[in-house]
Amino acid sequence: MSEQTTTTTKQLCQGLTKADKPCRNYALADDTYCHLHQTTPSAETTHHPNGQHDLGTPIPLEQELTPEEMFRHRLQEEVVELVQRLNTLTPSFVPPPFRPEAILGYTEKLVTGLPRHQATDILQRANQIIREDAFDPETWQGLWYLINYNVQYQLDIIKRRFAGDYEVDEWGLDLEFVNAIMPFLNFMYRYYFRTSVTGFEHIPDYTRGLVVCNHSGQLPFDGGMVMTAIYQDHPSQRLLRSLYASWFPTVPFISSFLEKGGQVMACVENGTRLLEQDQLVGVFPEGYKGVGKLFKDRYKLARFGRGGFIKMALNTGAPIIPTAIVGAEETYISVYKSDLLARVTGFPYFPISLRFPWLGLLGFIPLPTKWFIDFGEPIPTDHYPTGSADNMVLVSQLTNQTRNIIQEMINDRLAQRRSVFFG
Amino acid sequence: MTKSQVVLITGVADYWGARVAARLTRVPEVRVLGIDSNAPRQKIEGMDFIQTDIRNPLLVALLKAEQVDTVCHLTFNERRRKSESDFDLNVMGTMKVFGACREAGVRKIVLKSSTDVYGAHPDNPAFLPETWPLRGSKQYGYTRYRIEVEEFAQGFSKQFADELVVTTLRLANIVGPTAVTPMTKLLSQPVTPTLLGFNPLMQLLHEDDAVEALVHAILEDVPGVFNIGADDYLPLLRLLRMVRNVDVPIVHPLAYWGVAMLRGTPLKPEAYLPLALDYLRYRWVGDTQKMAAEFGMELKYTAVDTIEEFIKLKKGPPRARRFLEADYLRQIIDYRQQQRERMNDE
Repeated sequence: MSEQTTTTTKQLCQGLTKADKPCRNYALADDTYCHLHQTTPSAETTHHPNGQHDLGTPIPLEQELTPEEMFRHRLQEEVVELVQRLNTLTPSFVPPPFRPEAILGYTEKLVTGLPRHQATDILQRANQIIREDAFDPETWQGLWYLINYNVQYQLDIIKRRFAGDYEVDEWGLDLEFVNAIMPFLNFMYRYYFRTSVTGFEHIPDYTRGLVVCNHSGQLPFDGGMVMTAIYQDHPSQRLLRSLYASWFPTVPFISSFLEKGGQVMACVENGTRLLEQDQLVGVFPEGYKGVGKLFKDRYKLARFGRGGFIKMALNTGAPIIPTAIVGAEETYISVYKSDLLARVTGFPYFPISLRFPWLGLLGFIPLPTKWFIDFGEPIPTDHYPTGSADNMVLVSQLTNQTRNIIQEMINDRLAQRRSVFFG
Repeated sequence: MTKSQVVLITGVADYWGARVAARLTRVPEVRVLGIDSNAPRQKIEGMDFIQTDIRNPLLVALLKAEQVDTVCHLTFNERRRKSESDFDLNVMGTMKVFGACREAGVRKIVLKSSTDVYGAHPDNPAFLPETWPLRGSKQYGYTRYRIEVEEFAQGFSKQFADELVVTTLRLANIVGPTAVTPMTKLLSQPVTPTLLGFNPLMQLLHEDDAVEALVHAILEDVPGVFNIGADDYLPLLRLLRMVRNVDVPIVHPLAYWGVAMLRGTPLKPEAYLPLALDYLRYRWVGDTQKMAAEFGMELKYTAVDTIEEFIKLKKGPPRARRFLEADYLRQIIDYRQQQRERMNDE
C-alpha cells in the first residue's frame, strides 16, 4: 500500500460512472482507468502483495446487462468505493491477521453448558464454517471492513452531534436519543420484568389520548415501561409523552435526559397543548405519594393529585385510558421514609428499603418481578360542554371515577397473580 | 393606518432606537421624531431629532406641540449591574414617559421588553403564556428593571384601557450580526460556562424581525402583550456547538457558589455570564401562539437561519486572521448588497 502511494503521483480515473459523472477512483498504475472502468483486467490488479482485495472481474460497461448483473455491478462499485474510502482514511493501515483456531476454541468453551448432542452439532457446524470460509482471507477482510465501516458510522454520528447538527422538536424530544436508549428499556421490558400487556386496542392509533397510570416502585421505572410497551408493541408505535414532576428539571442530567426522551414537565398548560397536538400523553396522578409508597401500602392508590389531568382531558375532549401496572410495587421494598434525609439531600422523599442505603449502589437495582400492564376501556370526555374544566364538582367526580376503575383493575390482576416473580 | 401619523421614538442614540427610526423614515405616511439625551452617532435621514432627556418635565408640552399620536419607548440601559442611575432612567423614566403620554393625549404606546421577565424556573410550563406571572431573576439589573417597567406598564394599560393602546412586545433572545444583546455576548465569547447536565431549549429572534415587530406594532393597532420569537428552538449546547464555542460545564452548586463568592472581586464571574445562571439551567420559552393568531406579522427568519447568518458574519476564522480573508469581506459585501436591495424593494 505504502509502496503504491510513494512510487507515482496518483491520477483520477478517466471513466464515467453510471450517473454520467466522472469517476472518483484513482487510476491504476500505468493506466488511465481504475480497475472498475478497465475493459481488460490487468495482471497487476489480481495480485496484491499485502493481501489487498480483488473483488472479481468487473463487467465491461459497453455490454448489455441484465438487471441482476447491474445490481451486482453497482454493489461491487459501492464496496470498492467504501474500501477506497477506508484506505484513504487510514493509508498505512494493514488489517491484523486473524486466527480462526482461537475462535473455534472459544466456541468449544461456550458450548460446554449445553447438552451433548447439541454441543457436538454446533461444534461440527462451526468447524465446517471455519474450514470452508474462515481460512479464506477474504471473509475476514470483508468482516474487518464491515466493522470498520460501522465504527466510522458511529463516529460520524458523534462528530455530527458534537458539531451541533441534530434536530429536536419544540418540547426537546430527540428521536436519535430515544432510539439510543431503547435497547436498555427494551431489555428491562422484555427480559428483566417480562412485562405482559393487555388492552393495546384501547390506545388510539393517531388521535389524542390520556393514559392514566398508577405510580409505584420508588424509582419511576413504570413510566419507562409503559412508554416502551407502546413504542415497541403497539401497532402504530406511538411515543408516549409522560408528564413528570417539577422537581426533576432541577436535577442535572435527569432534566435533559427526560426532555430528550420526549417527556414533559407536568402542568395543565403543557398537557393541554400536547393533547391539542393529538399526542398520546401519560400521567401518573399519584405523584410522589404514589411512587414513594411504603411496602405495606402497596397497591393502595394514593390521592389523585388535584385533578389537573381531568382538566387537560376536559379542555381537549381526549379520552382517558385507565391503566393498571402490577409488579412495580415489589421492585424495591421500602420500609420507611426519612424526612430528615430527604431534607438534607433535597430529594422529594428518601426511602429506606431492605437494600438501600445499606448496600449502596446495589440498592438501586430493582428486583426482577413479573410485570403486568393493563390498558382499560377508555372513558370518553368529548360529550361534556366546553368550559367543563372549571366545574370542580365534575372534575373531582371524574377523578374519583378514574381512580376507582384503576383500583379495580389492579385488584383483578392481583387476584389472578400467583407469584410476584413468575406471574 | 392613519395618514400622517406622528411617531415619537425615545432612545434614538442607542441601537434599537436608531434601527426603528431608520426603518420608519421609509414609511411615507409617518413623520418620525426622535429624542435622546445623546446625539445619534449617525444622522438618520428624515428623522427630526430633538436632544432632550425622557425625564424632562416639559415632555408633555413637546408631545402636545408636535401632536404625537404614537410613542415607541425604547430607552433602556441594558446593564447587568444594578445602579441607582439605571433605575432612575429605566423605571422612573418609563413612568414619566407613560404619564406624559396620557397627559398629552397620545393614542398608542409601544414598549419593548424581553422574555427574560418570565424568569427561568423548574416549574415553568414549556411555553410561557403572556398571562404568566413575571418571576424573572432579580440578580441582574436589566431583568429586575424590566420587570418593574412591565408591571407598571400592565397596571397602566389596565387602568387607562379606554384612553390608550399599549402594546408590549416581549422579544426572545435577539441574535444578529449587528445587535449587542446578552445572547450575542454569550455566543461571541470563545469560552462559555455552562451548567453540567442542563441543556435548556433557547428561543431566538433575528434582529431584523425584532425591528419589524416593533414597526408593525407602531403602524397597526395590536393592543396587549405579545411574545415574539422564532418557532424553532435550539438546545443551548447545540447552539454553542453550532457557533463553535467551547463550553465549560460546571457542577451547578459550585457555579452558584462561585458566582456568589467571587462577585465584586477582580475575577468578575458575571463578565462571562451575560445571562444569569438560572437562564442556562431551566427552560424559558415564550408561547408564540398569540403572536401567530393576533399579531398579524410573520417572522422572516427561523432560529437556525438566524444562527447560520450569525456564524457567517460574526464567527468564522479567528479574529486576527479573519480580516485578511477575502471570503469574509465578500460575505459582508453580499450582505450589505442584500440589505440595500431589500430597502429599495420597500
